[in-house]
Parts: sequence; C-alpha cells; structure tokens
Amino acid sequence: MSIAYVGLESLRQIKNSRAMIFTLAVPLVMLIAFGGAFGANGQVDPVTKLPWIVATTIQVAAYGGMMAALSLAFNIVTERSIGWNRQLRLTPLSGTGYLLSKLATSMLMALFSIVIIFSVSGILYHPTLDPANWLLAGVSLWLGVIPFALIGILIGQFAKPEFAQPLFMAVFMGMAVLGGLWVPLQIFPAWVGNVAQVVPSYWLNRIGQMGARGSGDILEPAIVLLVWTVALGVFIAWRYRRDAARS
Amino acid sequence: MLCVRTRDWRHAERVNQTPVIKLTDLHKSFGSLHAVNGVGLSIRPGEVVALLGPNGAGKSTTIDLALGLARPTSGTAELFGGDPRSAIEAGRVGAMLQGGALLPTLTVAQSVALVAAAHRNPLSVDEALERARCTEIAKQRVSKLSGGQMQRARFAVAVVSNPDLLFLDEPTAAMDVEARRTFWQSMREFTDEGRTVVFATHYLDEADTYADRIVMLSAGRVVADGSPAEVKSVVSGRRIRAGFDFAWSQDIEDALLRLPGVRSVDHRSEQFTILSDDSDATLRSLLTTYDDIHDIEVTAHTMDDAFLALTEAATASETPSALTTNGAER
Repeated sequence: MSIAYVGLESLRQIKNSRAMIFTLAVPLVMLIAFGGAFGANGQVDPVTKLPWIVATTIQVAAYGGMMAALSLAFNIVTERSIGWNRQLRLTPLSGTGYLLSKLATSMLMALFSIVIIFSVSGILYHPTLDPANWLLAGVSLWLGVIPFALIGILIGQFAKPEFAQPLFMAVFMGMAVLGGLWVPLQIFPAWVGNVAQVVPSYWLNRIGQMGARGSGDILEPAIVLLVWTVALGVFIAWRYRRDAARS
Repeated sequence: MLCVRTRDWRHAERVNQTPVIKLTDLHKSFGSLHAVNGVGLSIRPGEVVALLGPNGAGKSTTIDLALGLARPTSGTAELFGGDPRSAIEAGRVGAMLQGGALLPTLTVAQSVALVAAAHRNPLSVDEALERARCTEIAKQRVSKLSGGQMQRARFAVAVVSNPDLLFLDEPTAAMDVEARRTFWQSMREFTDEGRTVVFATHYLDEADTYADRIVMLSAGRVVADGSPAEVKSVVSGRRIRAGFDFAWSQDIEDALLRLPGVRSVDHRSEQFTILSDDSDATLRSLLTTYDDIHDIEVTAHTMDDAFLALTEAATASETPSALTTNGAER
C-alpha cells in the first residue's frame, strides 16, 4: 500500500473543513450543554466515580470519535458512485490498500476529534484529572474507535448507495443511544442497560472511563472491542473477496 | 490526397516482440447476455488501434477485461506478456475509462497529485499536466470544468504514471471540434515516442485519421481487423455525385442504371448519387451521354459505409462471417 497516497488522502480529509465542523459541532454543543449545566462545580458522578465533567468529556469524546470514524461511510459511497475507485484500480494501490487508506484516514479524523474535545473541555472547565489519566483515556478511546471505522467501511463499501444513508442513521443512532453517548444509560430502564452491553459504543465509553480512572478491569472492554474488530475485519475481507470474484 | 504516416522504420525492431496486448478467445457473460463472445486480439508495441462498434458491441467490456477490471467467463487477457494487474502495478498502463471520474472537490492539479501518490515512479505533476495541455486549468476545481476540460484532466491523470500503453474509452466525447483537435495533437506526441494506444470512439473519422489499425466489434465479436484502408475496402466501389438541370424521370433513372458498373441510383432535388463498382467506366459513359450534368464528385467509401456494412452483416447472421483482413496475422 502506498504511504504517500494515504498521507495525501488523510490530509485532504482534514482540510475538508466543512465535514470536520459537522462531525465536531454536535459533540462540542453537547459538551457545553451538559458540562456547563452539571459539571462546573466539581460534582462526582456516582456511577463512574469520576468528576461529572470528566465523565461528560469522555462520553462526548467517544461520540465525536465514533462519528468521525463512521462518517467515512459517505466518503466511500461518494467515491464509489462517481467512479473514483475505478480510477484507483488502475494504480498499484490494491483494494486492500484502498480500504487501509480509508481506515487510516478515519483513525486520523477520530484522533483529531478526541484531541479537540479534550482540549475544549480543559480550557473551559479545568477538570481535575491527572495528565497521565487524560492520556490513557484518550488513547483508550482512540483505539476503541477501530471497530467503528470498520463499520463505516462496511456501510460505505458494501451497502447499496440508496441504503447507505438510512443504514448509517440507524447504526449511528443505535450506537449513540445504547452506548450512553447522548444521555447516561441510568435514566433508561435496566433492560436497556443490559442490551447496551452488546454494542461496541457502550464499551467505548467504558474503556474511556476506565482510562480516566486509571483503574478497573480494562481487559473486559478491550476484549469486547477486539472481538468486534476481528469479526468486522473478517466479514469485510470475506465480502471484498466475494465481490472481486464476481466482477 | 491521402496522407500516410510511415511507421515502417519501427517495423523491423517490432518483429518477435511480445505483444503489448494479447486477448485469447475472451468471453464475458452477464447472465444471459454475452457481452464479449470470443474476442481474440494481438497488439504490438507502437500500434495505435481504434476499437469501433455500435453501442453494446462489447468495446467497454473488452477494455475492462484487458485491464483485469472484470474477470472473463473464459479465455485470457495478457498485457506485456503477463497478468494485467502486474502491468498496472508497474505503472505501464494508463486509461481513461467509462464511469471513471475525478473527485469534484479537488482541483485538476490535486487530482493528478493524488493519483501520482498511488504510483511508484510517476511523472512530476507539472509534466503530466503539461502533456495533457492542462497547465492553464491546473488550479480549477473539477466540478467547474467543461466537458472538454474534464476529458483533458482525465487524460492528465491517465498519463501521470508515464505508461507505455494507454486505453481511452471515448476520449473525445463531449469535446468540441477545436478541443478534439488539441486532444489528438497531445495524443500524437504520446504515440510518436513509440507507445501503444487503444481507443474506442464513435467518431469514425477519428479512427480513420489517427489509427494505424481498426478493430471493429459487433455483438461481442471482432468483425473486421486491419488498416483503415483495408477496412474501408470491404465496401467495394465508389460514389459518383453530380448536379443536373433536366427534369428527373423514371426513364432517366433506368438509363443511368444501365450504365456500366452502376449498382444503384438515388436522387434528391437537383443532385443524384450513383454507387458504382467501376467508377471509371461509369463516368466515361455518363459524360458522353449527358452534357447537362455538372459539379461531379467521385468519392471512395467512408468509414461510415464500412462500419454500417460490417456491423449490419454481423447482426444479420447468427454466425457472422468475420471479414478479417490480414491484420490478425500480422
């Protein structure tokens, strides 16, 4: 795979400021709304044992990272519909290379998103947390975004263009609500919390919280997210081979 | 006056060379549709080949198969004596394909740079832009380009790997006359360096003027393969056209039909057209018999005539008698 192509492609996405603003605007508004309403006085969230503002920042950053990764689906759908990847098939960039370039771009976008949200939270609310814990939380969240990047690729590469939009909406709403990335899960009936343990976004939020606390069984969310990553990766590889064989 | 480009100096060194493109008994079916139905072709380095045929003849599918973008149902496609993918990875193949567009948000230069980044040994972006006459439109957004400019931008993207072989699927579609001329000038520079070009087109005069060899497809098969002159010669005879001042009558038409060599007579207002197998003899008796005809033109058949004759012959019979001239064996 071509490093030069991946670099240029990622840079192009970052520079596409309109898309960036869209993926960042919602989480930043959420941060200010929730953080400003409940978090400014240093209350502690009883469930996570974290300062409320830290829990909110993690939750919002998980949402922002997830959105950045998932929204790559549209990017791929557009490129497919205008025939750009047909053009790329005339270059040494392989099909796998193309998907890896998308994965890399999406991870870069997610990193950017998480860093911005952490920074805004830090500047506005000065949450009390050790820098090492911020770093651990950020890295955990960032790596936890990988399955969402794969879901974005799955939707973009294999969904029929007319289904990509509704499929994306369903996946993203489901992930955001069940993962507790919009509002804390405690306000739902208990069964919602049980169902939530199936979706990766729940564990994305948890791994971020554990990173911030610097304690807890971090292996548990890590394994769940890894299983999701492997399952999605295998499915994408299988679909990709099948499509290639049919061409 | 027919201007013939001599490429003979290259002939000697071409003998025994590996063909640039070798298609062997290619078949491709989409369900019950046989888009490509037994195409065999061998194209040598330096040839400029026009792929002609009516819509749905299998031109684009043949190009896709040759590039390895589609898998043949049976048969093989080789580029430079190997797998098409290896030739693409080595940057030896460039193409302007149907349904291969550029990203609308990028500028022309950015598009070229992005594709160049995917290649191993690309030309510089500036050089690719210059070869495709795109220097002035380098900073324009792809979404703002006119049809002709878009084709030039796609040409720049196709040549950025500095390929030895170019596939062009209807490269001059959406171009005006001036743009077409400029395009073929830059193509001439490209082929004069001994590179191979295969282009599909609906403009038969382009095929006639710019190709060394014409491959005509119909219903997924090769129905003619040879030099433009050879292909045109499958439609024999010439066309004599003249103006007349007398009143047209059935008697005159019958008399004209009885002239030596005449195959058919047609008239429209003050002008008639004779198709003749022996235009010299027809003309001699025509001039001695009628002294009131004027503005006489004698023309050879055009590529259009050959195209219609060949493609109609192929679609009329289930097993088309391939009017292959010696092109295939060369």
